[in-house]
Amino acid sequence: MFEAREMMVFYENMIALNNVSIDVPDGKIIGIFGSNSAGKSTLMYVLSGIILDIKKKEEMRGGERISVYGKLTLDGEDVSSLKPHLRAKKGIVLCPERRRIFPESTVMENLKIGSYLSDKERTKDNLEYVLNLFPRLKDHLKRQGGFLSGGEQQMLAIGRALMANPKVLLLDEPLMGLSPAYMDIVIGGTKEIRDTKGITIIITEQYARPVIPIIDNGYILENGSTVLSGTGAELLDNPDVKSAYFGV
Amino acid sequence: MEIIVYGVINSVILSLMALGFTLVYSIARMPNFAHGALYITTGYLAWLFMNSFMSLPYPVAVVLAIGITAAIGALIYRFVMIRIRGMEISEIIATYAIGLAILEGLRWGGLRGMTFTLPPFIAGSTTILGVSVDYQRLVIVGIGLATFAALYLFTHFNRVGLALRGIAQDERAAMMLGIDSDMTAIISLALGSGLAGLAAILLLPLGNIIVEVGYNVLIFAIAVSVIGGLGSWAGTILASFIIGFAQILTEAFLSSHYQMVVALLAIIITLLIKPSGIFGKQKELEERV
Repeated sequence: MFEAREMMVFYENMIALNNVSIDVPDGKIIGIFGSNSAGKSTLMYVLSGIILDIKKKEEMRGGERISVYGKLTLDGEDVSSLKPHLRAKKGIVLCPERRRIFPESTVMENLKIGSYLSDKERTKDNLEYVLNLFPRLKDHLKRQGGFLSGGEQQMLAIGRALMANPKVLLLDEPLMGLSPAYMDIVIGGTKEIRDTKGITIIITEQYARPVIPIIDNGYILENGSTVLSGTGAELLDNPDVKSAYFGV
Repeated sequence: MEIIVYGVINSVILSLMALGFTLVYSIARMPNFAHGALYITTGYLAWLFMNSFMSLPYPVAVVLAIGITAAIGALIYRFVMIRIRGMEISEIIATYAIGLAILEGLRWGGLRGMTFTLPPFIAGSTTILGVSVDYQRLVIVGIGLATFAALYLFTHFNRVGLALRGIAQDERAAMMLGIDSDMTAIISLALGSGLAGLAAILLLPLGNIIVEVGYNVLIFAIAVSVIGGLGSWAGTILASFIIGFAQILTEAFLSSHYQMVVALLAIIITLLIKPSGIFGKQKELEERV
């Protein structure tokens, strides 16, 4: 069980997240939807701890003042103040927006860097799993990450995150800029990860339609607050939501 | 023939000098201006261990000196650089200040004159392709090439080496995979200082341990890194060969006083023509995103 309680984030005086609480039961897929600037990425930064790194760097160069409040627990343990790499050790792994794969390393090296936390045996198992999940990566193992297409990069980014043995996998806008065919592969892969490995997944997206069928629960963010939550079907039934996020 | 043989040797010498600097910059994005000071520190420590109070045997003294220098590098990060990481100007000022303090401290502490020398691995000389070369220079080339190979293997096949490359390419993305950014910076500074030390042990027997050499090494390291493109391995080696041969050519046809002029002129030309260096990606990558 991964829980976020009353998360608040301020950039200077601007509020980016306002009292957001999210429950993520084990083995579920949670969708978080919202338009640009709704706070999706900030929420992901908060959950993965990257916000602490951003905050530290801003403080060091005397830049923007960032304040973070709220409590995050993973299986009852408070992780709110853990640095990102320690959270990754606990099993909270973020697959970031815009994929951010290592462009100068080959696909294989990307995956190996991802398995920094795993021992040899786990690495081998995970590698096999990832290559079965996204067989297309097999053809490009020796290629530099920067030369892959957007869809391939996304598969690689998810695969790389899987190599780190996540308990909770955070996918930040994984469908951004993908063709419908790749969307299907990524969405299908996401569901398969949950079904076969039991990994809890939180997925954010602007355009909710392709994601809705696989989620167990969803939240709608607007200007930093959750305005609606419920199962996929409940979200679909709400007329406001329908027009705003599903393009109906 | 002489030009080719000594050109190669000089190029390997230059790349050994620059390797530690490049390593630290490519991983921690930190220009380590204390590089030259660490270089001299290793030489002085090795001399101290062998000659003054302990008179340790040569191999022990050398390994100990390199180890201590690597530890100094790690401590510099842990206690100074960690506070100003990411602010380039402060990093340059802080590392340069540390370097100055070490070098001038050594001078004040008695590192003056020509009495400080390290013995070569193997004395004597031989002839290659009709040119007489002393064994120490051959050892330099051999160990230099072995170091390149070892570094390549380390950063491509070792778990920690791969993590270092991950941090070098995208710090935050690597963090999200459980890699500790401060830890990798400490490792990179320790490795970089160790490489400076290794270079010192190899190269100092060719001359004396004097403070000025520390400044020269720093300038050569910066020249090679800037021309090759800051933080680029291939660039460092290629630039070493360009400057290395240019120096030997000027030495052969002009005079050996021009060695430093060549290095500095090369920096100026590079900055005028292609500011990010031969293999530099500073600007280009940003544009592509």
